[in-house]
Amino acid sequence: MSHSLIAVFGFNSMSFELITQLIAKQHTLIILDDDPAKINQALEKGLPAQLMDYRQDDDLIALGIGARVATLFCFLEMDSENVFLTLSARVLDKNLTIISVVNRPESAEKLLAAGATKIIDPFEICSNKAYQLLNKPSITWILDEVVFGRADLNMAEVNIPEHSSLDQSYASELYLNEKYNLFLIGVVDKELGDKLYFSLGEQDHKLDAGDILVVLGSNRDIRKFKKEIGVINDAI
Amino acid sequence: MHTRLILYIAYSLKASLRYQRCKAFFYDLLENPQSNLKSYFDIFMICLVISSISLLLYEVEHQTFKWAAIFERFVVTVFIIEYLLRGWVYSDIHSAIIKQHENSEYLGTPFRLHNVLGEILAEKFSYIFSPSAIIDLLAILPSYRPLRILRIFLVFRLLKLFRYSQSIQMFTGVLRNKRFELSMLAIFMGFLIFIASTAIYMFENEKMGGQINNLYDAFYWAVVTMSTVGYGDLTPVTQGGRLVTTALIISGLGLMAFFTSIMVAAFSEKMNEFQQDRVKASIEKLDNSTIVCGFGRVGQDIARQLQEDQQSFVIIDNNEQHIALAKHQGYIALFDDATQNSTLTQAGINQGAKAILCATGDDVANVYITLTSRYLNPDITIIARASHEDNVKKMHQAGASYTVQSYTIAGLLAAEYIGHPVAFEAINGILHGQQDVQMEVLNVHSGCFLDGKSIEQANFAQYKARLIGVASKNPVHARRRNRYKLRNQHFYFNPDSSFILYQGDILVLIGRHLGIEYLHDLIATSCLHKQQGKSL
Repeated sequence: MSHSLIAVFGFNSMSFELITQLIAKQHTLIILDDDPAKINQALEKGLPAQLMDYRQDDDLIALGIGARVATLFCFLEMDSENVFLTLSARVLDKNLTIISVVNRPESAEKLLAAGATKIIDPFEICSNKAYQLLNKPSITWILDEVVFGRADLNMAEVNIPEHSSLDQSYASELYLNEKYNLFLIGVVDKELGDKLYFSLGEQDHKLDAGDILVVLGSNRDIRKFKKEIGVINDAI
Repeated sequence: MHTRLILYIAYSLKASLRYQRCKAFFYDLLENPQSNLKSYFDIFMICLVISSISLLLYEVEHQTFKWAAIFERFVVTVFIIEYLLRGWVYSDIHSAIIKQHENSEYLGTPFRLHNVLGEILAEKFSYIFSPSAIIDLLAILPSYRPLRILRIFLVFRLLKLFRYSQSIQMFTGVLRNKRFELSMLAIFMGFLIFIASTAIYMFENEKMGGQINNLYDAFYWAVVTMSTVGYGDLTPVTQGGRLVTTALIISGLGLMAFFTSIMVAAFSEKMNEFQQDRVKASIEKLDNSTIVCGFGRVGQDIARQLQEDQQSFVIIDNNEQHIALAKHQGYIALFDDATQNSTLTQAGINQGAKAILCATGDDVANVYITLTSRYLNPDITIIARASHEDNVKKMHQAGASYTVQSYTIAGLLAAEYIGHPVAFEAINGILHGQQDVQMEVLNVHSGCFLDGKSIEQANFAQYKARLIGVASKNPVHARRRNRYKLRNQHFYFNPDSSFILYQGDILVLIGRHLGIEYLHDLIATSCLHKQQGKSL
């Protein structure tokens, strides 16, 4: 993932948080905006930024969409701008991961129709968070730590590689919490599709190469587990 | 001697808790507009009045039954008791006596009973001569045999309904507010009727060949014509009479228009107030409610979730469109400025509210609302929304319990998507309650069946739930592994099977709704059993 480029369109308080996180995770990225003032701000902060008009397909191609850009974040101010950018990028690259913010709920469908992989509604996230704080304040802390990884507690996906020791074993026989100090949240059993099955002791899954384990634990333990089952130790 | 006895009685009444309770009960029953008892009593009285009047109407054409007389006697007894109780609740005799006594003690003047008596009588008379008390009395009197002639006053029982129905009270309130306009209208109408009836009598008397025989006829004709009813039983025949009629009809039209406009204006003026009153009354009934300040995108979303969860809440917004939207959705909404103390008090910050959400898009307003709320209620949970990272600290300083940084979490969440989209979706699903699987916290209460048990013994797997960790303040656990600092306590991630649970520990579980609910009930019932066992 770190070899490919992440393009972030729009420099504002929301994308700044994203950029900080991505840099912390050692991703290669570039910030693009059509406002010279914002580009200057980004450059002053020592961030890689470039002035660019998202309306020009040639510029997008020159940037590397369709080639080395693997992920595109649309964090522009207006929904219409994000829809336009999504549409242009999708035409250039069918496999590009496009993540876009949405300001008005009715724009969500348009963005998805334009080809966005994932949409993020800051208002919805905010209200959900507020609601959760209201009803389950203690859960919120844990989710904060887990989802946003502020403490040394992380959620990670582990792809089971070919010829791994886990190949052909059963999820119920993993005993991750005892052996590796990890909490198994769920399993994506590729035989049954892409759905995540929560590990609640309801049904057992036979693991094959390509299946995904979603685990929770400290970075060290996750790395140790990955090493042992033969996953290349890349960035988590 | 008498004086001392009376003073003794007054002081002992003041000291008697039972007497105070009794009086408070009757006050709630009869007069307190906020009490539920009063609404039940009002309904009962309305039924009583209507059935007694129905019986009266039935008796006009039918024979009386024996039970009817008994019922009538019961109704009158209830009315008399009500009348006397209202008189009793109206003012406190003993406090008037005590006040007077204390005043005279202070000033060193002799205490004179007749002075107090005068005061008490004046107060009680003001009750007796209040319009509603007069109606009450008139509803009772005709049942007294020597006053049988006053039977017609039984109709006054219907007027008693005024007392018990809020909408009728509202109507009289409106009329009272427009007293000046209405009296002007009445004077003008009186003049008009007077002039018209004398004129018509002059033109249309028998001698002139008309149908108006006397002044009463003239008056009747004037009223019928002026109100634009015009039965046509008395019609003008002379030229002069017709001229008077034309003039009266035209001025009558104007008068009616004037009257209608006064009433319409009065009602539309009052309607807003009544709606606000109704909102206030419904807020007062709320318990454990949440105050949502700001009904923009975030506020709307939170309100929807609260509504789905059947939790009570009050919305405050100073944007008319937002309030209209909230009302359209059937929410309780106050159109006011949430930064004002009075608005928050009205929303119940000190009464039934458990939390306040500052969800406006403006950080300055949110800080101000937070500050005001914290000042008004030091214990309430305040959740403030911050658009800019820099303002988070200010919000905490202003007294926010929690802050939500809308743009920051969106950015964080977006970054999280890269690397583990599956996990992201899973957590997102749990977070938003989209799936049946949920993350839940359960408290280990003192005396519940988990208290003192190890995790192995507790065996959460039988409830199809899994334990992610335990949050605890208890220093007993301090040496356990996987300890993470969490505000004033610690979170023990993935505790091993020998971990022993104690009261006050908080379990963080993941499981299906059904299983977690079952476990929750099990904890609650085991607690109750233990308590019952102790008390026995």
